[in-house]
Amino acid sequence: MTNPLSLWNFYFRNKRKVLPVIGILALAILGVVVTDSLLASARETAYATFGSYQKLILVAPRATRDQDLANPLQDSLMRLHDVQLQVDTLDGPGGITSYYNAVVALPAQVRAQLPAVQRLQVDSANARYYAARLRGDLVPLGDLIFRVQRLQSEEQAFNQLVNQLTQNPNDPRPLITYLQQHQTFLQSVLPDSAQLGRLQLAVTSASADANGLQQSLQAMNRDTANLNSAGQNVANLPLPPSPSATIDQFRSALDRLTASLGSIEQPQPGLDKLLADSAHIPGTALVKRDAYSNLDINLLAGNAQFDLYGIDQPGMTQLLTLYGDRVVAGRLPRQNASEIAVSEEIARARHVSVGSKLGNNVDELDRLPDAFTVVGIIGGPTRLGVIPLDYMTEHYLFERRYQGLIVIPQAGHAQTVHDELQRLVGDQAFRLFDWPYIKAKIDSLIANLDSINRFLILLVTLVLSLVVGLLNNLFFRQRMNEFGLLAAVGYSRWGLIRRVALESFGVTLAAWLLGVGIAVAVLSWFNTVFMVPHGLLMNVFDWNVLALHTLPIPLMVFLFGMGTVGWQLLRLDPISIIERRD
Amino acid sequence: MLSAKDLALDYRTGSSVAHAVDTVSLSVGRGSFVGLIGPSGSGKSSLMYLLSGLKRPSRGAVSFEEHDYASLSGAGLMRLRRRRFGFVFQQHFLVNYLSAFENVMVGAVERDHDTAAYAQALLHRVGLGDKLLKRPYQLSIGERQRVAVARALVHRPAVVFADEPTASLDQATGHEVVNLLADYRRSGGGSLLVVTHDPAMLSDADRVLQMRDGRLMAA
Repeated sequence: MTNPLSLWNFYFRNKRKVLPVIGILALAILGVVVTDSLLASARETAYATFGSYQKLILVAPRATRDQDLANPLQDSLMRLHDVQLQVDTLDGPGGITSYYNAVVALPAQVRAQLPAVQRLQVDSANARYYAARLRGDLVPLGDLIFRVQRLQSEEQAFNQLVNQLTQNPNDPRPLITYLQQHQTFLQSVLPDSAQLGRLQLAVTSASADANGLQQSLQAMNRDTANLNSAGQNVANLPLPPSPSATIDQFRSALDRLTASLGSIEQPQPGLDKLLADSAHIPGTALVKRDAYSNLDINLLAGNAQFDLYGIDQPGMTQLLTLYGDRVVAGRLPRQNASEIAVSEEIARARHVSVGSKLGNNVDELDRLPDAFTVVGIIGGPTRLGVIPLDYMTEHYLFERRYQGLIVIPQAGHAQTVHDELQRLVGDQAFRLFDWPYIKAKIDSLIANLDSINRFLILLVTLVLSLVVGLLNNLFFRQRMNEFGLLAAVGYSRWGLIRRVALESFGVTLAAWLLGVGIAVAVLSWFNTVFMVPHGLLMNVFDWNVLALHTLPIPLMVFLFGMGTVGWQLLRLDPISIIERRD
Repeated sequence: MLSAKDLALDYRTGSSVAHAVDTVSLSVGRGSFVGLIGPSGSGKSSLMYLLSGLKRPSRGAVSFEEHDYASLSGAGLMRLRRRRFGFVFQQHFLVNYLSAFENVMVGAVERDHDTAAYAQALLHRVGLGDKLLKRPYQLSIGERQRVAVARALVHRPAVVFADEPTASLDQATGHEVVNLLADYRRSGGGSLLVVTHDPAMLSDADRVLQMRDGRLMAA
């Protein structure tokens, strides 16, 4: 014979009152588990995305984008226009050609008797030659400077676009505006590497021709002075105005431009020495030059730039071996090819496979320029992406500035190597990125979300405790007659409290189990249909989340409910209930 | 068996003191039927609360068999009520979500098959043999009160305290209910103390005591 006051009877005879409470609590627990799991997923995915830093230190140039070509380019172009005017004048009517013709027109006996006149003829012929060459140089030089200027402004506009999109990823208007304004230009000037080579040649040629012209004109002046001192007045020969000062300024501007172009070719002064010195740090396993780049990926907590290592072919293999990764499809990128191999999680996140394209042409948020062909998929514990060093350094103008080192310490030597690297870097414009730094950044990012999440859980717990506690109280008041009668006929007060506690415990336990069960089901489904295909990590059975983070809700609800109901039971006067005439 | 000596219950309201029960002495013998009548506010219910241990007296002493209430703890008094006393109140106080049979079993001390069979027999005896599984809201008021009587008797109490058990019933139904209690007494079940304002309900009583202003008067 079962106890009529058993919990079983209570639950099954009061379904309409018990089930809503269980439902509310279960939904709250589901919400907590889902938000907590997504947060944990964001953290784990971020750790995994930047997991390669656990075994290497990246030495990257500090604020490379500050190295700006804008001023030398503009200065050179301005001087070029001045020189163009002067050379046009020099080479036009009344200029060098007229002077040369006048010298040639001197009577032959005069020229034969005076070697200085002969030299004047030669020098003016040289001046005419150089002036013509310089005129020829200036047009393509101006064009090239203009193109590189536009290229640079393009990069600035692009950076601005990236910033706008990063700040507000849901607003596509800046991207549309950018594409509308820049598409023609992008098609015409990219890739830019050829522009740089042509510009360098044109600068060298123009500089040499300007020098030749200047020297020829100086020689002509000397020749004229020699003739005059020899009593042969050549005042009737109209010497053209010397553009010497303008050419000086032009050459000086070209020198600055040459220096700036050189800084692109050798973007990080001291990198070669650092490379050599790093290899000698005790505890260093491997040092590689790295023309790094990035891919944009989604981490749930926001977009992030996944690091690609631009290293040589042996380095790629060494890197994979270091992390225990291997190529599971395709192959590693070939030398000097626009090819890329990425981890399968990244490939899934970007929906690419072998043969697909990745890069700025495909996704505007990628820092990886152009479009690289995916030639390999990497599998293993650490997410990696590799691109060829030589292709990165020889094919892109501005990407050349993103060169650094990857330094791989031997096991247990990370801190020593880091400290020694820091010492070697000293005041140079490099900074070190290692796992403690990256992890701290990730934790800092997640910490804000974590605080919000904790606050929400606290709020939900308090509100639910209040609501369910009040529901319990309401329910209890409806059962006052039952408890009054039981107390009157001799049921002990603590027995009644124990009974209510068990009832409440059963409800919260059922709600917790149901909530956790539904949460596991929902998370499993979500993991399959969304997380895994997007390369995101989620631990569906994270007991820390499932148990510890959800328990405060049923616990608080139970304690609050029991606190108030228990207090009323302790103060229950059965006679007042018996004597009630309602 | 149940006796009270110089029993008093005072209610203090500010500086004034109301004597709900004022120096009452009585005894209820084994198997006797004692009726307690009196107008509203005369103190008969209060006296019943004192005799049943639901309230502690301001003065005086109550004892049941060898138990002196004063020497019993709250838990001891509860045990006494639970095991030796039965209660019927003006309202039935049935548990809504339990059947008639389960409501009777709420009063049982032992929940074995014999008790269950006895509970069913009781319900048959009170005319509800075909309504064992009905819930209180499916029963008439008179039927609910009969279930409450069965609940009060299921553990074979030594004393049944009935406080205005017929007040919310019509006269015929009221008689049925009192007769059920009287039958229990007659069958040697135990003593009966019925508090009522209707003397007609006490036709079978061995003794009828009248209360006025907290005191017992000659009936």
